Amino acid sequence: MSNRSSLPPMDATVGEAQQWLADGHCTSRQLIDGYLEFLQGVGRELNAVVEIFVESAQQAADQSDQRRAQGQCFGPLDGIPFTVKMNITTQLGSSDASSPMLRGFQAKEDATAVRRLRAAGAVLVGKTSCDEFAMGASNETSCHGVVSNPWDRERVPGGSSGGSAALAGSHGWSFHLGSDTGGSIRQPAAFCNATAIKPTWGQVSRRGLIAFGSSLDQICPIARDAVDCQSVLQVMEGHDPLDSTSLRQGTSSHPPIGRVALISDGLGPGIDASIATAVRSAAQQMASQGIEIIERSLPHLEAANACYQVISTAEASSNLARYDGVHVGVRGQSKDLQQLYETSRHQGFGSEVRRRILLGTFVLSAGYQDAYYNRALAVRDLIRQGIDQVLEDCDALLLPVSPFAPFPIGERIDDPLALYACDILTVTANLAGVPALALPCALDEEQLPIGMQLMGPHGSDHALLEFGQRWQRWNDQHRALPEGSTR
Amino acid sequence: MSWKTVVGLEIHAQMSTRSKMFCACVRSTGTAPNQHLCPVCTGWPGALPVINQAAVRRAIRAAISLGCGVQRESRFDRKNYFYPDLPKGYQISQFYRPYALGGEIPFERDDGSSGVLPLVRIHMEEDAGKSVHAEDGTSRIDLNRCSSPLLEIVTEPLQMSGVEAARCVRSTRELLRWIGVCDGDMEKGNLRADVNVSIHRQGDTVLGTRTELKNLNSFVSIERSVEVESARQALVLEAGGVIRQETRLWDQDLEQTEEMRGKEDSPDYRYFPDPDLPVLIIESSDIDRERDSLPESHLARKTRYIDQLKIDARDAESILARREFGDFFDQLVAAGLSPASASNWFRGEVLKHLNDREESIEDYPLTAASIAEVVEAVEGDRISVAKGREILQVALDQGCSPAQILAQTGEQVSDEAALIGWVQQVVDANPDAAEKIRAGDSKPLGFLTGQVMKASSGQAHPRLVQQILQRLIQHD
Repeated sequence: MSNRSSLPPMDATVGEAQQWLADGHCTSRQLIDGYLEFLQGVGRELNAVVEIFVESAQQAADQSDQRRAQGQCFGPLDGIPFTVKMNITTQLGSSDASSPMLRGFQAKEDATAVRRLRAAGAVLVGKTSCDEFAMGASNETSCHGVVSNPWDRERVPGGSSGGSAALAGSHGWSFHLGSDTGGSIRQPAAFCNATAIKPTWGQVSRRGLIAFGSSLDQICPIARDAVDCQSVLQVMEGHDPLDSTSLRQGTSSHPPIGRVALISDGLGPGIDASIATAVRSAAQQMASQGIEIIERSLPHLEAANACYQVISTAEASSNLARYDGVHVGVRGQSKDLQQLYETSRHQGFGSEVRRRILLGTFVLSAGYQDAYYNRALAVRDLIRQGIDQVLEDCDALLLPVSPFAPFPIGERIDDPLALYACDILTVTANLAGVPALALPCALDEEQLPIGMQLMGPHGSDHALLEFGQRWQRWNDQHRALPEGSTR
Repeated sequence: MSWKTVVGLEIHAQMSTRSKMFCACVRSTGTAPNQHLCPVCTGWPGALPVINQAAVRRAIRAAISLGCGVQRESRFDRKNYFYPDLPKGYQISQFYRPYALGGEIPFERDDGSSGVLPLVRIHMEEDAGKSVHAEDGTSRIDLNRCSSPLLEIVTEPLQMSGVEAARCVRSTRELLRWIGVCDGDMEKGNLRADVNVSIHRQGDTVLGTRTELKNLNSFVSIERSVEVESARQALVLEAGGVIRQETRLWDQDLEQTEEMRGKEDSPDYRYFPDPDLPVLIIESSDIDRERDSLPESHLARKTRYIDQLKIDARDAESILARREFGDFFDQLVAAGLSPASASNWFRGEVLKHLNDREESIEDYPLTAASIAEVVEAVEGDRISVAKGREILQVALDQGCSPAQILAQTGEQVSDEAALIGWVQQVVDANPDAAEKIRAGDSKPLGFLTGQVMKASSGQAHPRLVQQILQRLIQHD
């Protein structure tokens, strides 16, 4: 139906696609149809998208076109396609957190973030796969199957927001909502050459985000560039009466970033040399643009992952207790109550989720709570202080996102510790509650994407995104699309 | 050597807010099952709790009234356990940092002296739902009550009798009702208590091992369970046995306690701070605001009634059985009645109506002003007392205003000539009765008065009628 020649270039950002619509080169309906075609083709091939909403998307696009024709366009996201990760609730389709436990689960309402985006005219086109309950770093624990990395389909896209990143990494025009508990938006963004921000904890309402580790979870945008991430964040953020931990807006303003600390611990042993080199040379490129670069060590970085494992699993063990076979979720066959719990939870949860529930239950148990959970809380305080300390001396920290490149499907899935190692550089931001922006940095010798991240103080989300925009004017790695995805 | 009984209480009081503790659902008791539910109180994925500030305000009032120290910062924690009527798999409570510490419950000792039961703490929490177990072996879940706001008042252990323990709970109930925090309806479970009981020999410095009796929802069960359980413990100890720390169930019908679970079987609740709720900050200005809006205390009001309004102490007690009663009484006085007649009409009529109609004073249809109007007509001799009572009753029965009936009622007749006419008519028609009275039997006087009232369609002034009757008969 759509007229190909009138559509924007495939790598066009949301901002560029919006301009394209404004200039009258195509309608939102044509853009949406074009994007639906991509989802049904490449999106399905990558196994990134689970559900596609053709009719409702077309309707929403038509309405957007009417508004535009009347000069009443809602703004930068009006008529733009977006997808939502399976662990974020939407009225359309299902919200199963990629778990057999919630197969077919229909939420009663849109998550606050989704509601605000749709009210701004953005068009919900589908739901994306993720690791089960967002627990994973490779998108291999999804009940919807393994998702491929568009840069090398034999490799993982990262996780848990693997579906979102695979789409963001292979096509423009759109943005995607994922979530980040320990790196779940940044690591897949790095693996797929996309841009994403994990906002300050509380910046975006968590209402509608199916909880994993509540004190760490945030809903996050992932897109082609920092401009798009900022447009999306601006719509989603701000206090929500339905989430009492969501922040009031305008609490702090941060100056533009002029001084960046390169975190030396993120460039040493255990980090791929090509990644360390790429991030160092990014720092040099920033320096050549007048950014002052200093080198610092981040205290307690080595303890962060253990601390994260304890806190996130503890909270998860409690958050997932509601899936008991009585109320929401799968109900197993049983003769009595104990068996109902056992069969329902055994059938409903995959092995990684079960492992984390067991770990979390253990670290909260009487006799062990002091040694694990309470100690992790103390370490968390030290990590917060450590970040604050380094930030006294600079505006942002620079470090790689992942210690290694996207790995082959199946390589780490049977080795939990190897999989948990994906998170060593990302969990710090979640533990401290600070924002962290993941930016494409370079391709390695195997033509696989390398990502870097900038962490700033609480509430500096927009300062980070504005810096990201400057970086993307100096360096166009974020524009690169994998060869295979061109039509 | 005699045994001494030591009791500690955990009183659970449902706060009478409009909505639940963490969502906007209506807090309800007694409606059809599962009518007041939302994603938050049923723990749907993605839903988050939001603190009901009206519950916090009530909690502050309770803490002030019980003399607790209200904490500026408190937190909510998750108490994790699986049960079908607990849809999130955890209960939100305040374990590590409750909002109120210290305080005391005043109560009357068995010897009439006044005692105080010290408090450890009060914390806020949400209630669970209800499991209804049917005879056919199936169970049903009603989540209406789920996430209703509760206060848990935890006392220190204190040497006392079962009667005194029940008095402590009664005293707490009256206080919470008085300040509008809890309706105190124990039948509905809106106020219930867990009781910890231990015994030791007189002179022992160390308390005995305690057992806990759960979910007692009447004063009788509190009183009797303490007595029965302490007697059981004494029997065990005297036989050389030991008391195990355990939770026991009270069987009201058999009047005995039975083991439910031992300490080693008690669940590990894995408490940890709820990351979905921010630290609760209660500023001193919040406390001041609640203190300023608290009603005059029961004691201050009773003293005022007795000293200033010259109300009899027993009458004052029954007028102040509930704060709303006292408020209604005050309205009668404000409407112009003397305290004495306000007291008489309130206790004699209003309380009787409420009792007959099984109605709460909040639902009582007559206003104080309309009652006062009728009483004024009585006191102005325009109608009789009986007529006044009748007007109130008819107004209630017919759902109209007493003023309307009053307007249709003929004025009381005090005109002597008219009264003599009616009396003469009645005496003539009942010569036997008149004869008896002349013979010194005053019994038929009431009958004849009634006949006169009838003949006058209730308009004759009854006191004057009696005077005229006696005069006429004696002088006949």
